[in-house]
Amino acid sequence: MILEVKNLQKVYGDKTVVNIEDLQIAAGETVGLVGNNGAGKTTFFRMLLDLIRPTNGEVLSKGENVMQNDNWKNYTASFLDEGFLIDYLTPEEYFIFIGSLHNMSVADVSAYLTQYNEFFNGEILNSGKYIRDFSKGNQNKVGIAAALMQKPEILILDEPFANLDPTTQIRLKKLLKEQTGNMTTFISSHDLNHVTDVCNRIILVEKGKIIKDFKTDENTLKELESYFSA
Amino acid sequence: MLSIFLSHQRKSFWRSRNKGGSIATQIIIGFFMLYFLLVAVGIGFGMTVFLPKIFPNQSIMTSFNGIILYYFAFDFLMRLQLQDIPTLSIIPYLHLKISKRKIINFLNAKALFSGFNIWPFFLFFPFIFIEIGSVEGGLVAVMYIVAILSIMVSNNYFILYLKRKAITNILFTLIGLAIVGVFAALEYYKVISIMAASNYVFSAMADKPYLGLIFPAVAALIFIINSNYLRSNLYVEELGSKQEKKVSTDYAFLNRFGKAGELAALELKLILRHKRPRYSVFMGLFFLLYGYLFYKAPYIAADAFSKMIFASIFMTGFSVLSYGQFMFAWQSSHFDGLLINRIDFRDYIKGKFLLFTIMCTITTVLASFYGFLSPKLLLLHLAAYLYNIGFCTVLVLYLATFNYKRIDITRSASFNFQGMGATQWILMIPFILIPYLIYLPFGYLNRPYLGLMTIGFFGLIMLCMRGYWVNFIAKKLELKRYKIAEGFRE
Repeated sequence: MILEVKNLQKVYGDKTVVNIEDLQIAAGETVGLVGNNGAGKTTFFRMLLDLIRPTNGEVLSKGENVMQNDNWKNYTASFLDEGFLIDYLTPEEYFIFIGSLHNMSVADVSAYLTQYNEFFNGEILNSGKYIRDFSKGNQNKVGIAAALMQKPEILILDEPFANLDPTTQIRLKKLLKEQTGNMTTFISSHDLNHVTDVCNRIILVEKGKIIKDFKTDENTLKELESYFSA
Repeated sequence: MLSIFLSHQRKSFWRSRNKGGSIATQIIIGFFMLYFLLVAVGIGFGMTVFLPKIFPNQSIMTSFNGIILYYFAFDFLMRLQLQDIPTLSIIPYLHLKISKRKIINFLNAKALFSGFNIWPFFLFFPFIFIEIGSVEGGLVAVMYIVAILSIMVSNNYFILYLKRKAITNILFTLIGLAIVGVFAALEYYKVISIMAASNYVFSAMADKPYLGLIFPAVAALIFIINSNYLRSNLYVEELGSKQEKKVSTDYAFLNRFGKAGELAALELKLILRHKRPRYSVFMGLFFLLYGYLFYKAPYIAADAFSKMIFASIFMTGFSVLSYGQFMFAWQSSHFDGLLINRIDFRDYIKGKFLLFTIMCTITTVLASFYGFLSPKLLLLHLAAYLYNIGFCTVLVLYLATFNYKRIDITRSASFNFQGMGATQWILMIPFILIPYLIYLPFGYLNRPYLGLMTIGFFGLIMLCMRGYWVNFIAKKLELKRYKIAEGFRE
């Protein structure tokens, strides 16, 4: 198991926002986290990334508690929100900075970015703008591309399809599917179509609890739709 | 409608997230205002007494007429620096069923609520009532009042117009500054005199009161120009940020420091690309003039360093102090991003130390021009420099781990107390006290140079312990990371 969650709880005041007894994710799985607003998805992701201190329980990445050391940072890449971007940099500067943290040279980074020309649709690189001047959708693209650039073993994305135009959504799905197999992906989404399309396992959360956990098949979308329309 | 806008403004103030901070800010500003108002009242009523004393060779009316335009020239410069444009607050109303005219009226009305528009009342009116009213008669006094209020209103809207223009065109700012500069130079070299011009204008008005009507006409004209400009440019993007081509930069000299250098470069960009941190760092250059106040010839001759230590430490360390007091919070908008990436806390702290050392070195090198006063001062500065890079940096970074207040870095710099807390004030106490405590015994024993050496030596020891301090602060930061990140997310 590359990711294990044990008795993870986060309590704010008298409200339990996340309460996950046991969750095991195997290497290479593509897991979709689905749930309405307030289900605790983002809080859960933040605890996976050691950004919030859990009230109880622990997150083990490759068997090591993420709170105790930083080894997980070597193989985990993520993009939750714009707070992850250093918004006063140009996209190039940002990519080079992130690359440098993974010992990539400037040449490595630009070589890597050439394959994203299609994904960026010519709007990101050499645009003469800081990241803060981009639209939300384009900021998302920068964040996602920077995460993928780290060639992570674990990729965590919060609502990657939100704010993206249809073309980019399709391209992103293609990108995520291509990577499957050698990378464990954990994404959350409000878009049931996309998430069932990309993921081979769906976790349904409500009020912080996992209420369903199943492999995707041809009936998954219908099941999810009936759940959410109920 | 206006009253609804104003009530929304009031709510936005009282319900803002960091209410405590903004109330404290308002109270501090309120005290400043009150102080200045009292001063203004004092000057206003005292003018009949002061003016003949300051300008003994001319009549009191000539003096009074002379200072009016002078005052408004300064008023203009001050406003250029400090007056804010009320714009962003209107964005939520633009798409609603509210006519543009009403929104513009609101903006115009709101612009009048400025301290600059209170002082003239207290400064000039007492004199007008006491002197002019009784000597020149009621009509002239009324015309003076009309004229002064009109100039005030003109300044008010002209500045707003300039500032709005300047957003779309940086050229305007440069031209404006150049004009002010030329006038200042002409005044300085006595080519022209604002005072004489002012006297000429107002004595003409005292002779022929109807001439005073020119002022309200000008004010109305400026008001209309400003309103028209607003009306035709009431678009968020045109009122907001300017567009210019941004380029990527690379600070090669920092690369040799590895990851720490990389992080320092990142922060250097942060400073250079945002107004508020830039302001707080460059304030350090302004404080380089501090020495002229404190380095007095008798002190230097008597080696009375105890009277000069404060100035020297303040000058060489001001940038570190003023930038460092909000440490980590500068990066509050992307602190999460720093945490999840492969950044070692120790490298992060090392980067900060590196940045501080660079800042301190630059200000110290610049401050060495005081060496012309006396080479002794260079010794003083060396001790202060070592103290600052050795101890002050540690202190600032240690206290930074207690700072959980988010800063919106894009907001303006002057009179912005967002993110201020008790920590910032505590910072000052040991910063100032410790060098005195070290120096005082030597001062009493009349061994000033030994005192300086000890301060320098203290700094040097701390500098040698930097490895230890890096680990120490990195540990602290690691412990507090959740709390800091949570505070910054708000």
